[in-house]
Amino acid sequence: MDFFRSQDAARRNTKRLVLLFVLALFCLIGITNVLLLAGLGVFAQTINVPLFQRIDWALLAWVSGAILAVVAFGSLYKILSLAGGGARVAELLQGRLLQPGSRELHEQRILNVVEEMAIASGTPVPPVYVLDEPGINAFAAGYAPSDAVIGITRGAIETLSRDELQGVIGHEFSHILHGDMRLNIRLIGVLHGILVLGIMGEYLLRSTRHSSRRSKDSGNIAVVGLALLVIGYAGTFFGNLIKAAVSRQREFLADASAVQYTRNPAGIAGALKRIGGSAVGSQLDNPAAAEISHALFSEGLARRFSGLFATHPPLGERIRRIEPGWDGRFDLPAASASQAEEVTRASAAPLAAEPVADAGQAAALSALAVSAALLAQAGNPREADVQQARQLLASLPPALLQAAHQPASASALVCLLLLDARPEQAAQQQALMADKAAPAVGQALQTLLPAAGTIRPEARLPLLSLALPALRQLSPAQYASLREVLLALIQSDGRISLWEWVLQRVLLQQLDGVFVPRSRLHHTAHRSLQQLQAEVVLLLGFVLRVGAGRGQDAPGQQGALPSQAQALFDEVLAGLSLPGAPVPPPEQLRLPQVNAALDALQALKPLQKPAFLKACAALIMADGVAAVAELEIFRALAAALDCPLPPLPATLTASA
Amino acid sequence: MSITTIIVLAAAALLVVYGIGIYNQLVALRNRFQNGFAQIEVQLKRRHDLIPNLVDTAKAYMAHERDTLEAVIAARNAAASGLAAAAANPASAAAMAELGAKEGALGAALGRLNVVMEAYPDLKASQNMLQLSEELTSTENKVAFARQAFNDQVMAYNTYRQSFPPVVFAALFGHGSDATLLQFADSAQIQSAPRVSF
Repeated sequence: MDFFRSQDAARRNTKRLVLLFVLALFCLIGITNVLLLAGLGVFAQTINVPLFQRIDWALLAWVSGAILAVVAFGSLYKILSLAGGGARVAELLQGRLLQPGSRELHEQRILNVVEEMAIASGTPVPPVYVLDEPGINAFAAGYAPSDAVIGITRGAIETLSRDELQGVIGHEFSHILHGDMRLNIRLIGVLHGILVLGIMGEYLLRSTRHSSRRSKDSGNIAVVGLALLVIGYAGTFFGNLIKAAVSRQREFLADASAVQYTRNPAGIAGALKRIGGSAVGSQLDNPAAAEISHALFSEGLARRFSGLFATHPPLGERIRRIEPGWDGRFDLPAASASQAEEVTRASAAPLAAEPVADAGQAAALSALAVSAALLAQAGNPREADVQQARQLLASLPPALLQAAHQPASASALVCLLLLDARPEQAAQQQALMADKAAPAVGQALQTLLPAAGTIRPEARLPLLSLALPALRQLSPAQYASLREVLLALIQSDGRISLWEWVLQRVLLQQLDGVFVPRSRLHHTAHRSLQQLQAEVVLLLGFVLRVGAGRGQDAPGQQGALPSQAQALFDEVLAGLSLPGAPVPPPEQLRLPQVNAALDALQALKPLQKPAFLKACAALIMADGVAAVAELEIFRALAAALDCPLPPLPATLTASA
Repeated sequence: MSITTIIVLAAAALLVVYGIGIYNQLVALRNRFQNGFAQIEVQLKRRHDLIPNLVDTAKAYMAHERDTLEAVIAARNAAASGLAAAAANPASAAAMAELGAKEGALGAALGRLNVVMEAYPDLKASQNMLQLSEELTSTENKVAFARQAFNDQVMAYNTYRQSFPPVVFAALFGHGSDATLLQFADSAQIQSAPRVSF
């Protein structure tokens, strides 16, 4: 299923979830009322009065109202608690954030695996949380690929081999790319309300058991507690029904995707076998695990529901689907002892061919064909992409990689990516930095300057993505300072190049979401191109003008348009079924307006995003040349719209 | 159910929702500074790991300055244990103060080593020593940066905790006391040889 369709399906599944929840609530209220009436002996009365008149409707109304209130409250509480995104789920489970510069071998290894997968699929590198549990399990949480968070247990990090870890992480990334996470968070919030009933009942029962009073009160409370417990179990019954309905198929899909990304069934099969073969399996000790049981890699509760209510397919079945010839045995040799070489990325063979670095070689490619191919790969990395990500990471100078993993030098790295190629401008920018940037950042930049010339165009976005986890660790004041420096650097030469715009857009979108909570809007993507016409025209105009201005030395101008530009513009708009419009003048295309338009475009329906991106591609590559830099910018535009695209296909860089 | 009951219930519900918001914000800010401490830990560990190398390189040239070198190693070990204690409990004021004191002592010991090294120009010029000094300085800068981030985050937490509506609920929600700032003189300043005046 392609990325855009599965994002769309995930949104439709949310509606199905709401329906199931409302149904469950009705059933719960019905059961409670029937139990109450039975308890009051209404059904046992032999008096010849019709049932309808024997029932105390006011009492039933009160009880129903009370249940509704409890469930609504419980759900509201949980939904508000989770409003902070994926990180909240990780903190709920007492996860510990892994520092990007960690020196511990196991931690380094998992961080490397996650980085490779993130670069291969084109998503920002997600923060990784470690749960202090002996079981082998993992989860992914968040509202969108740019908000994703990955959690993994200590048992998994220490027991699994690198290939098996890669299988597990591939499985989790599949959840991220197929839009399962938003559904999972909603499920947690909504189901909590129903589960609260059971929790209350259990709490009451436990308190009467421990209480030393042997009075009538205690007996009454016990009865109430028991009643609540029964209702609670009924509630949990429905909760599990809902969870199971949503999650089993997704697990099979995620397993299959993991195999597709890594082309190594032994990896994920090995992880599943280890779970089957170990004593503690994938169980989590944390009581909060009950709430997120459907979001885990494998069954996390001791009490396994079988059949219809299982949130995960049976382990044996999962292994058989990946490895049809499996002999049913779970024993595996202990993970290899040569951890040290496993930690670092596999010493890759040198890149098959020098990447396409100039326009000449790529000129023969049809620009639109390439961008169409890229769009088809959205959210669907192949094993070749993962290999290529590994090679890219291995080919980056270690100084840059290390720099990306510490907050101070990551800030410097981002500034480095903005340095102009022309020496006078670069000198001006460095003077600016000496003036405005924090001393540690300035010093780090000086250290990184020699490596600046070695950064290939296709490495810029991955470096940005690698730097994100460290940049999230900045304090708000440091982030404000960095923001100021970045904007000053961009504006220092009086004009904005497309790369500069893309960098500030991608970076600030991610980081503003972390540091300015109100700016994170959980978009319901429901608007059509027609409704967002003004914004679409503005953005396409910006792309056209800046693309045309590329390579011009005159500062302050966004490039004079060639004469056919208006015709091309109208043609592209027609392709989107929008009426033709004049290309917006430069005064309308200032940064704030352009960014506002892109913000509004986040609400575009998933199935219409490819059309918009193809239109941008047509404009970017209107001069008939598909240089690597331009394709990278296309990738960045897609990232700004939350559509992760893999890096340039390996075939593209290798062919003449 | 009279209109007053409904209004009272609605007001109570709003209050509870507001309370949930405050609770979440307190939790979020506390998690943030605890993560901030973890970043300091990474940098300090790096600094502690560099020092034995430094001492070994210096030993080869400064055979007679054993006392200074041993003082550096002792200060480094003390700081490493202080770091472990503080990492186990970032909310404890005592552990933070300990860590600050020990890191300060380590900085002072390194400063004394620098003064002594002035008398050994061929040590100062050796390739190894230059490289180590460079890495040490860069790590010092990163420690300073991480410490600044941590202190900013602690300030944000404390300010929020003390501001009006949260201060009423804070103790109730388990956020009874302020977090402690981490104070120690950043050794980047101590690295430069102190001016001697008569």
